[in-house]
Amino acid sequence: MNLVINTVFRLAVWLLVAPLLPGIINKVKAWVAGRRGPPVLQLYYDLAKLWRKGVVLSTLASPGFIAGPAVAWVALFGAAMLMPLGPVGSAVSFRGDVLLLIYLLALARFCTAWAAMETGSAFEGMGAAREVSYAVLAEAAIIAAVLSLSVQTGSVSLVTMLSPAAGAGAVLLAAGLFTVLLAENCRVPFDDPNTHLELTMIHEVMVLDHSGPPFAAILHGVSLKLLLFSVLLVQAVLPLGNLSPLAAGGMLAAGILVVAIGVGVVESLLARLAFRRVPLLLTTAFLLCLFALLVAWKGGAA
Amino acid sequence: MTPGPLLLFACLTLAAGIVVAARMSRTWLALTLASVVAGFSAAVLVLLGAPDWEWRNAFSLGGEFVHLRLDGVSALFLVLLCVGGGAGALYAREYWSERYYPDSAPRGRAWWSAMLLSMGLVLTVSNGLHFLIAWELFALCGYFLITLDGVRREVRSAGWLYLVASHTGTVLLFAFFSTLAARTGGWDLGAMREQHGLAPLFWLALGGFGVKAGFFPVHIWLPSAHANAPSHVSAIMSGVAIKMGIYGIVRFSGWLPVPGAAGWVVMGLGGTSALLGIAFAFAQNDFKRLLAYSSVENIGVILVGVGGALLAVTHDNALWGRLALAGALLHVWNHGAFKSLLFFSAGSVLHATGTREMSKLGGLWRSMPWTAGFFVLGSLAVSALPPLNGFVSEWLVYLGLFDAATNKGPATWAAIPAAIMLAMAGALAMATFAKAGAMIFLGAPRTRAGTNAHECGMGMRGPMLALAGLCVTIGLAPILVWPLVARAAGAWRSTWVGHPPAPLAALGWFHAGLLIVGVVAAAWLWRKAHANSLRRDLTWDCGYALPGARMQYTSSSFGGIVAGWFWWALQPERKMRRPRGHFPADAIRLERVPETVLERVIGPASAAIMYVSTAVRRLQHGRLQFYILYVVAGLIALGVLVLFGAAR
Repeated sequence: MNLVINTVFRLAVWLLVAPLLPGIINKVKAWVAGRRGPPVLQLYYDLAKLWRKGVVLSTLASPGFIAGPAVAWVALFGAAMLMPLGPVGSAVSFRGDVLLLIYLLALARFCTAWAAMETGSAFEGMGAAREVSYAVLAEAAIIAAVLSLSVQTGSVSLVTMLSPAAGAGAVLLAAGLFTVLLAENCRVPFDDPNTHLELTMIHEVMVLDHSGPPFAAILHGVSLKLLLFSVLLVQAVLPLGNLSPLAAGGMLAAGILVVAIGVGVVESLLARLAFRRVPLLLTTAFLLCLFALLVAWKGGAA
Repeated sequence: MTPGPLLLFACLTLAAGIVVAARMSRTWLALTLASVVAGFSAAVLVLLGAPDWEWRNAFSLGGEFVHLRLDGVSALFLVLLCVGGGAGALYAREYWSERYYPDSAPRGRAWWSAMLLSMGLVLTVSNGLHFLIAWELFALCGYFLITLDGVRREVRSAGWLYLVASHTGTVLLFAFFSTLAARTGGWDLGAMREQHGLAPLFWLALGGFGVKAGFFPVHIWLPSAHANAPSHVSAIMSGVAIKMGIYGIVRFSGWLPVPGAAGWVVMGLGGTSALLGIAFAFAQNDFKRLLAYSSVENIGVILVGVGGALLAVTHDNALWGRLALAGALLHVWNHGAFKSLLFFSAGSVLHATGTREMSKLGGLWRSMPWTAGFFVLGSLAVSALPPLNGFVSEWLVYLGLFDAATNKGPATWAAIPAAIMLAMAGALAMATFAKAGAMIFLGAPRTRAGTNAHECGMGMRGPMLALAGLCVTIGLAPILVWPLVARAAGAWRSTWVGHPPAPLAALGWFHAGLLIVGVVAAAWLWRKAHANSLRRDLTWDCGYALPGARMQYTSSSFGGIVAGWFWWALQPERKMRRPRGHFPADAIRLERVPETVLERVIGPASAAIMYVSTAVRRLQHGRLQFYILYVVAGLIALGVLVLFGAAR
């Protein structure tokens, strides 16, 4: 019985809450710009609409065009099952699960890029090339961040890695992980989620030819990924393990809200970077995480 | 049943296979399959816990008694050899058949048997002199297999390069084995870790075996040999033969004492090979060269694991070394499986289209759905994506590195950079294979080569299916192979019993769940899309009315960003003629990534040596009077030297 409640709760959090984040970000952006903006629940309406709509397939597309988004969504969902949620822990936990999580994100990326290349469109090829290339630097930053948490806590399992605070390097780690969050979720200053037609986009240009239910799977997966990174960031920085379960849960929710507002504010205040600057910013993120790692390693000994 | 009779049977059937290869192709196949099954059973028996098989014989060869041995380490590589050898033999039946290659097909079969036999001998002989003989036989068989299609010029030059590189390695091995024999007073091999004076010999072994393994920067022979060989030969070269180099490194670092710096150097070489190997792979346009460079990356991953084990040896036999070694050894198997699968599907594409240029292909999924499926599966495995086997072994290596890092000892200095390099190499591998698969199989055919393609027959699909099954099985149930790999790791250091926890069962269950949910979700989405009404139309392409096949993104544009980051290593050659005037006649942009180490370092160095040699050679012109003059001048010089030397 407990297991059932646990599972249902988890599914509800991940699947139902995830589309809320883009809504909050958009509301913040509208608020900063002095507009009324779309409703917070807009993505839910979009998903419901897309799920009922028909599909237009490119004449060139193989079944992988539809399987890709499905598998990418499942990979992100699997990653969500590994990610602990503050006081309730994670659905599945074992030694080394953090590495599985990183590679599940890579699987999702492979599937999205594959589906993008299905259509033979040069636009989508361009987006896929950018996505997989910048991921190289993002991956280095993530592994450095994970290593720093691992060295800090002496553990390779997400549940124990994320419960204490990140120690002295918390600020560095927060800055680094937040930058990676922006890059991996295609937010400004790396990418602009509002435009589809520019030649300068990464993620949005990969999904140009998708429509109907597969597009709904992609959009939901994107919001799932954003929630995943927010949860990771908040738990990596805040010492939720030291709080009472209720306080930790509240803290987690508040933290996620702060991250979403932060993304919205960044998006309102910054312009998108020129493409040749993107690797520089990602390298900065990597260096921040690396310094956090050095602090965790050498600072602990001192 | 003990391993001995099985091995003898395998040896005899292979020898019989060489004899009948030219005439009776069916008998040859039956004999080869029988021998690999026998060899496989013998190796698995040992890995399952049967005592090591050892056989000393009064029969002597070259003044040395024959001494054979099959222990955990050699059994692990023997399993790989049997799987790769059997799959390749099956595949070649259709791929390199008499119908297309009446001349070279019989030769190919004979050399195939000889290659398997010589590699089997390398794995089992336990005498330095015999090891060298077997090693040389193995190198020669490799040469003749690579040059099966010797009518083409580039095949001959690739074979030549392989032969030269291979013999450079063999020279080092000669030095290694003869010094070892001189120091120990005999050619017999075995564990001799207590003789600490032997430690520096490790460097000779690393160099000699490293050329065969193909780590960066001694990988120079590998890309052209793998690309130009017939695909079943590429598969065994990449899947099995380069692992013989790894076998040598693992074998002799296990038997001999190792210098303290060995772990650092091997791990550094591994990290460099992984990152630069895959960066070169990403920049290739020839899909078989791409696969070859990806082998350099995977050898790097294996070496990172072996380096971790060596590092652990010098740090009080730390537990994390066992994880790293087990990961490396499992990756030896896994790479053999998925790289053979990839080369087989590449061969199928080459067979159907006649080109290795990705920029000429595209849209092949429609005519070659099986090959496309196998290539995607292999791509997922080689990119170390869950739930397939490549992830399991890299995960073990990562676990070892993470444990080393959390120890906060001196090894952390090596483990952290290695983990970061592995992560970047992993992301690049994913990018490389997304590119390769998409360029070959997706979109529209770019030239006529792609439009007339046809699917390969059952004879080629069968072995691919078997290898694909292996990739999935190891991915879903790593717990099944864990005892076998742990036995081999235990044979490397007999004191290493027991492993730190690696929750392979949990990983396997998660993988299985992921696979099931993934298949269900894909099927559900497929049905949902069809239920909602599905319409086929032109690719939207931002409203462009007539998108053409040549407007698609190409392989070099896909790799452009990363090629820019690694320009210092890749040194791409560009040739460009811009369109000029109001009615431009032609414009060209050519881009090629050379084999930098070969063309920019070794090429010029050899040219310089040749230049000096040619200059010196002018002294030798065949005119007798000048020769007499040389002798007289030499005598006078000697006289002067003696005179003044005596005076002092």
